[in-house]
Amino acid sequence: MRTLTGITLLKTHTLVGALEILSTLDKVQPIAGGTDLIPLIREVESKSTHFIDIYSIKELNGIYEESDSIIIGSTTTHSQLLSSKTVSEKIPALHDACSLIGSIQIRNRGTIGGNLCNASPAADSAPPLLVHDAEVNVSSLSKNQWMPLEEFFKGPKISALKSDELLIGIKVPISGNGCSAFKRIGRRKSFTLSIVNAAAFVERDGDSIKNLRLSIGSVAPTPLRMKKVEKEFIGSKLNHQTLTEIGQACSGQVNPIDDVRGTAEYRRDISSVLIKRALIEAWSRTGGK
Amino acid sequence: MIFELNGVNVIAELTTTVTLLDLLRTDFGLTSVKKGCEQGECGACTVLLDGMPVCSCLVLAPQVEGKRVTTIEGLSENPLMKELRDAFMENGAVQCGFCTPGMLLSSFALLRDNRHPTEDEVKVAIEGNICRCTGYVKIIEAILDAAEKISPD
Repeated sequence: MRTLTGITLLKTHTLVGALEILSTLDKVQPIAGGTDLIPLIREVESKSTHFIDIYSIKELNGIYEESDSIIIGSTTTHSQLLSSKTVSEKIPALHDACSLIGSIQIRNRGTIGGNLCNASPAADSAPPLLVHDAEVNVSSLSKNQWMPLEEFFKGPKISALKSDELLIGIKVPISGNGCSAFKRIGRRKSFTLSIVNAAAFVERDGDSIKNLRLSIGSVAPTPLRMKKVEKEFIGSKLNHQTLTEIGQACSGQVNPIDDVRGTAEYRRDISSVLIKRALIEAWSRTGGK
Repeated sequence: MIFELNGVNVIAELTTTVTLLDLLRTDFGLTSVKKGCEQGECGACTVLLDGMPVCSCLVLAPQVEGKRVTTIEGLSENPLMKELRDAFMENGAVQCGFCTPGMLLSSFALLRDNRHPTEDEVKVAIEGNICRCTGYVKIIEAILDAAEKISPD
């Protein structure tokens, strides 16, 4: 039962080597930590029988702080992100999310690139990166392009990645004095999939909202940015009433379904609660009350 | 393929792609590495890969080439592991024993890096290890007890 017979694992230590294999062979799928992919290979007939191990490509791993952005290699693990001072200081919502993803065993193995390429609507690293306006680098032998993360998600478990392309890295701009936070709700406290997750990024000008970015996951075919709500409330003062209004406005923007983890009605209700919690936390991290 | 298993360089002949879990149990007879859910949920197959706890059911064997794999067999003479093992026995933290090797490795990694863990830190360290017998209380007590013994103050 559930053996892995019939699959082959190709190995390479260079990015160019991986891209060459992806461009010349059909139905080759990149694999890194395998924490999503291996259970999937066991459960269903995988489309691919050939996998290429990108975990041993050194140039894809690491966190680099540049003058105006932070670059994260796609095979950087959740544990590496969790212990990074750069991440906890500059992308606090991502630090929050990485502390909640899987278990220690999963965080030690699973990668941020894998979490994004799996393109689950419930991916915990998506809302934090969306509110930080992250871009992803998608490369093939013939081209190398940056695209907004928002455009990378195409549907449930569907990303923009073509068969000859690899997600190389993630770029998070360092922006102003804003702070972010991530909140989620699952069926239990730890080691569980999110029923709904949410992240908020806020820049404060006294008690007014100078800049606002909000994202909610697991409430639509892809993780969502709440751009309409953001626009409406930039410039407002943050108080109990605006918080309630922001929560209600977000609930109106989501498009959830019923599934084994929760009902659409519950997801809609809890979206408002989680976005408020995330915003309150982000606001307090900026020093606001 | 060559990798380090419990402190010794070993050669594995891989004719098909298997998981690290199957390789350790079948080719090396290390049956302390338990086959539970094969989904990365239960933690019974936990091993240390370059010192870090991972689920061996989610690692493809060729991926450990040149790396260091440790199971409880490789730590049988280790002072910290001895302390943990004694504490598990004294505290009644073992019932059926299926989760025990994984629990020991997860708590070993915790105490190696953090000799004074709080109860919450212990809970996080074993969040990926499911025990269906004990209700966790005795396991958490055993780990805290071992921590106390390795650095009494």
